[in-house]
Amino acid sequence: MNARGQVIFKDIWKKHGEFVALKDVSFEINPGEFFALLGPSGSGKSTTLRILAGLDAPTSGRVLIDGNDVTGVDAADRDVAMVFQSYALYPHMTVAENISFPLEMAKVPKSEIAAAVFDAARKVKIEHLLDRRPGQLSGGQQQRCALARAIVRKARLFLLDEPLSNLDAKLRLETRVELKKLQRSLDVTAVYVTHDQEEAMTLADRMAVFMAGEIQQIGTPAEVFAKPNSIDIAGFIGNPPMNLVNAKYSDGDIILGGQRFKTAVQITGSRDVIAGIRPSAIRIGADGLKSRVDLVEHLGDTAVLDLDIGGALMRVRVGDENVPKEGDTVSISARPQDFHLFDPETRKRLV
Amino acid sequence: MKRLRMVVLFAITAVFLLAWAFPILWSVLNSFKTDRDALAYPPKLLFEPTLDAYRDVLFGSGSIIPNLVSSMIISVGTTIVTMALAIPAAYALARLRFYGKKFTGFYMLATQMLPPVGIIIPYYMVLRNIGWIDTYQGIILIYLSFSLPFAIWLLVSYFEDIPYEMEEAAYLDGASRMRTLWRIIIPQVRGGIAVTVVFVFLNAWNEFLFAVVLSGNTVRPVTIAMFNFVSVEQTLWAKLAAVSVLAMLPVVILGIVAQKHIVKGLTVGAVKGGGRR
Repeated sequence: MNARGQVIFKDIWKKHGEFVALKDVSFEINPGEFFALLGPSGSGKSTTLRILAGLDAPTSGRVLIDGNDVTGVDAADRDVAMVFQSYALYPHMTVAENISFPLEMAKVPKSEIAAAVFDAARKVKIEHLLDRRPGQLSGGQQQRCALARAIVRKARLFLLDEPLSNLDAKLRLETRVELKKLQRSLDVTAVYVTHDQEEAMTLADRMAVFMAGEIQQIGTPAEVFAKPNSIDIAGFIGNPPMNLVNAKYSDGDIILGGQRFKTAVQITGSRDVIAGIRPSAIRIGADGLKSRVDLVEHLGDTAVLDLDIGGALMRVRVGDENVPKEGDTVSISARPQDFHLFDPETRKRLV
Repeated sequence: MKRLRMVVLFAITAVFLLAWAFPILWSVLNSFKTDRDALAYPPKLLFEPTLDAYRDVLFGSGSIIPNLVSSMIISVGTTIVTMALAIPAAYALARLRFYGKKFTGFYMLATQMLPPVGIIIPYYMVLRNIGWIDTYQGIILIYLSFSLPFAIWLLVSYFEDIPYEMEEAAYLDGASRMRTLWRIIIPQVRGGIAVTVVFVFLNAWNEFLFAVVLSGNTVRPVTIAMFNFVSVEQTLWAKLAAVSVLAMLPVVILGIVAQKHIVKGLTVGAVKGGGRR
């Protein structure tokens, strides 16, 4: 395992005048980890990456890389490579010159540069394009050129700011897989900013979910998916995201639309809650809550139903067999362990 | 209909072109005439061309070669100093946030609005007090006060067109601010720099009003020397035309050389994806 590329973010605040962009952000990234910063736009994930890169300075707090305090260190001296959303290739240089630029700046001997450039280009399969200029490349090739420029110098941190967002859907899926393989084979620490929860889920070893300038949850994608910390995360992760409906809790039961369901959650007393159920966890059967099918979305091997349960919307993912029709009435239920309960006041998860 | 439009367009263009080109053609023609032919009325279109006028103004007693050299020193000096200061200044104005940035931008434009006649006397007094009348440094200093704001103002927009992310990418690649400016930014504003060089050089080369007041016998640019050929008794049209043509040459050559870079600069900026944010 690589011993380089450990990151510690300690109590980072970032304020622009009155506006608070980051509120007390703290996390740790282990060497060799693929770490995603996930969140909707404006949630602070890009600001976090820029502070890590040294492009922005935090208002307060410390950034440590491999145990060294780099809070006041310039971007150029942090030994950190980055792929920008726009790729930020140098248009007046060829692909080879673009890739060799970081090596030149690091004063790598000329004799070693050519081989290193070719090697990096080969890893991202653009070795046949070295003489072209960025303007003569397709979007996907430009993206690869930006990747090559980032990996050519064996930097200790590899930062990616929404690197796939300018690619078309098919290319995005392909590149996503390659990116993961590349990170594994290079054995580098990668920090990946994205607003696409699916990207974060598939790529990341662990992820930090940002909401309104705060980290709401850190964990593996599986952990975050299985136990979202708050209503906001529950409504953000998953496709379609978790259903969230007003319900009552009483003695181990959930009362939802007049129906009682068993739940695995044990809290004392009775209270109002927000109940969350994943669309894929909802069962259609003989018993349960009666609801009308408003809309059916066929997705090929699955379908998503929009159900009306007493005025509230409930989305259900079902297999492609025996899909109910629009206007049908179905009965839905869920297993006790599939209910997630949230406090309507604090919006946090109830144990 | 389309054809008619083309014809009208062509005619209008031809009129403008003729109006613009006539003085130049007239000068070039006259420069190859004898003084007598030049004075002939109606003007002779068919005449025996001669290089007498050129021989006289270049190698005669009142040779204008020292004046051409003088003009060259002033113009090249002004251009070099202007660009050396304007490039970093324009970059700073385009990128950095500092107190008084807005005012600085307004001030630069305001200098271009002042009527030169209004400040020529204060300029004269300043130069006289520091003993720089009729010196190269004096003239260049005065020209700088106009060309520098103009060059900065022109360059700023070129610098602003370069996405800031590209600069950040260079920093992360390990480049210092100066390195980034030199290797990443300046090559991309080549076109803008070429345009600015042409304008600054042109203004300095063609300047007359300040030169006439602030120069003297040591520093005597060609724009002033030209008037040797205009006197109360007579105007030596052929020689005057020959000097005009000679004075035009450096500017024309500069234009042709710069054109390549201007076009190149434009295409670099136009490259798809290359300059986009």
